[in-house]
Amino acid sequence: MLKMTHLAKVYRTEVVETYALRDFNIDVKEGEFVAVTGPSGSGKTTFLTIAGLLETFTGGHYHLDGVEVSQLDDNARSRIRNEKIGFIFQAFNLIPDLNVFDNVEVPLRYRGMKAAERKQRIMDALERVGLASRAKHYPAELSGGQQQRVAIARALAGSPRLLLADEPTGNLDTQMARGVMELLEEIHREGATIVMVTHDPELAARAQRNVHVIDGQVVDLAEEPRFHAHAHLANS
Amino acid sequence: MRLDIAPILSTLGRHKLTATLIVLQIALTCAILCNATFLISDRLRWMQTPSGIDDDRIVRLMVSDIGPRADMHARVEADLAALRAIPGVEAVTVTNSLPFGPSSWNTPVRLTRDQSTPSLEAAAYYGEAVGETLGLRLVAGRFIRPDEYTWVDDHAAKQVRGSPVVVVTQALAQRLFPDQSAIGRSIFIGDEELHIVGIVERLARAGDQSRSGVYETLLLPWRMVTAYGGGFAVRARPGEAGRVRQAAAAALKAVDPRRVIIEKRLYTEVRDRYFATDRATTVLLAGVCVALLVVTALGIVGLVSFWVAQRRRQIGIRRALGASRIDVLRYFQTENFLLASMGIALGMVLAYAINLLLMREYELPRLPFGYLPVGAVVLWLLGQAAVLAPALRAASVPPVVATRG
Ligand SMILES: Nc1ncnc2c1ncn2[C@@H]1O[C@H](COP(=O)(O)OP(=O)(O)OP(=O)(O)O)[C@@H](O)[C@H]1O
Ligand SMILES: [Mg+2]
Repeated sequence: MLKMTHLAKVYRTEVVETYALRDFNIDVKEGEFVAVTGPSGSGKTTFLTIAGLLETFTGGHYHLDGVEVSQLDDNARSRIRNEKIGFIFQAFNLIPDLNVFDNVEVPLRYRGMKAAERKQRIMDALERVGLASRAKHYPAELSGGQQQRVAIARALAGSPRLLLADEPTGNLDTQMARGVMELLEEIHREGATIVMVTHDPELAARAQRNVHVIDGQVVDLAEEPRFHAHAHLANS
Repeated sequence: MRLDIAPILSTLGRHKLTATLIVLQIALTCAILCNATFLISDRLRWMQTPSGIDDDRIVRLMVSDIGPRADMHARVEADLAALRAIPGVEAVTVTNSLPFGPSSWNTPVRLTRDQSTPSLEAAAYYGEAVGETLGLRLVAGRFIRPDEYTWVDDHAAKQVRGSPVVVVTQALAQRLFPDQSAIGRSIFIGDEELHIVGIVERLARAGDQSRSGVYETLLLPWRMVTAYGGGFAVRARPGEAGRVRQAAAAALKAVDPRRVIIEKRLYTEVRDRYFATDRATTVLLAGVCVALLVVTALGIVGLVSFWVAQRRRQIGIRRALGASRIDVLRYFQTENFLLASMGIALGMVLAYAINLLLMREYELPRLPFGYLPVGAVVLWLLGQAAVLAPALRAASVPPVVATRG
């Protein structure tokens, strides 16, 4: 589904070059639920933005669903984001000027879907996250947990094959975080591939596989006892 | 086409104040633009009103004779003879007035001797063969014959009674005798009954009369003298007006070196002076329109730039969710189109209100419906053009902004 080999991402400013990712290798299979962990600044978000075609990379290869994405132009990338990928961000990223219904509708409109089908999908998605009654509310009128569920509904409505979540529970308390996690697990059971960045060891442990990133590289925990121990501790 | 009108409208609803302000600005500009283009085109049309004469071939000269003179008729004859001798001169006369000249000699016209209020005020042209000299087009009857003219001063002193003939314009004939031919009918000027012997296509009057009566003029069988304020009207061969003007001034000076030539103008200059204020008003109005459009365009650029900066993150989110650059561009252009449409709809109502006010206060004509689309199209185009630069900036917001703010 998602395969990166020797991928590099360099941020160049006038004064410094930052290697956010270097020789980054990952292979996420269709239907997997992968949790990405690692210290702050290690490159997790960078990995996710590249995986989600929000950003280009500097070197290496990235195959998404069998397609080498560096060959794609901006329009094609937009279309893939729209049709295959669902995003869930730490900061929810709802559009404050639009109500819940309209927020969930945004990606569907860019898909050029008919109004009746859009409505059906929006209400289904809101139903699933338990917010159908809040369709006319504006984001500012919802709690953080509710906003994140709207964001999940927005990601779900388009039935994406790949769900990318960057610390989806980072701004939520434990109970709300658990609710979000259960929702993700449910989505995963229905067949979606999920890649989730998280700082929360408890959540990471619930994923099928953990990928640890340090200094822009994927580290095999088994070969690094120190991290293994750390992960083990966290998992227990 | 994915025109997301409903969500754009609800977003605008969340920014009512700024949206209202820009809609009002567009409305006001549209209203003023509609009225101003109407006024401008109305003036332009008025400025092109045919005078009815051979504009390019007529030269006007005015002299001021110093000291008393015995025989002013003889002087006029001598002057005319001198002018006729100039090569390139086809005809010459002394006349009291010229179309769109500075002064109009108006006279009340009655249809019966004892009619209490005159039918209308016509502008009277005096001068032997004025019609032939100026190049009027006769559409019925004949011009006044040479033997029918009397000197205006003799006539005024009631020493002679002139031939009772008059030539009128088509417009005057229509107004006085709408249902039948005017030829042979009588009109009364003062206590004199005059028979209409000819009808000319048109001859505009001078002075500031209402536009509707501009062609209500007539030719009287009186020979004009310079001492009564008459000026020479010289008809040159095509293309020779400029040269004839100089030669004519010299010839008049040669008749009496002491006299002062107070005016020697091509008729086209006479006409230009008449319409100078109209031209200035037109330029001013056009300037106001351009200024207003520039201000409105800048207003749109400013507002949309502000919105683009404010919505940078949500643009990034939209991009992340699958909006292409074109989608973002189209979002802002659609938004602007909606704002412009609201402004235009309001502006049209306002345009009519302004027009009603102008009609009542300044007796301006009613705004024809045809001018409303002009304002609409101009503002739609202006809006789309003004929004382009900020909208392109919006379209270049990268999707990664969604994750990194
Ligand atoms: N636009 C950018 N320009 C320059 N450097 C950047 C840019 N974005 C990220 N970086 C750098 O790239 C590195 C990786 O950043 P990234 O956001 O991927 O870390 P992260 O693992 O997501 O951290 P956190 O857990 O704190 O979210 C960091 O050193 C960061 O400073
Ligand atoms: Mg991060």
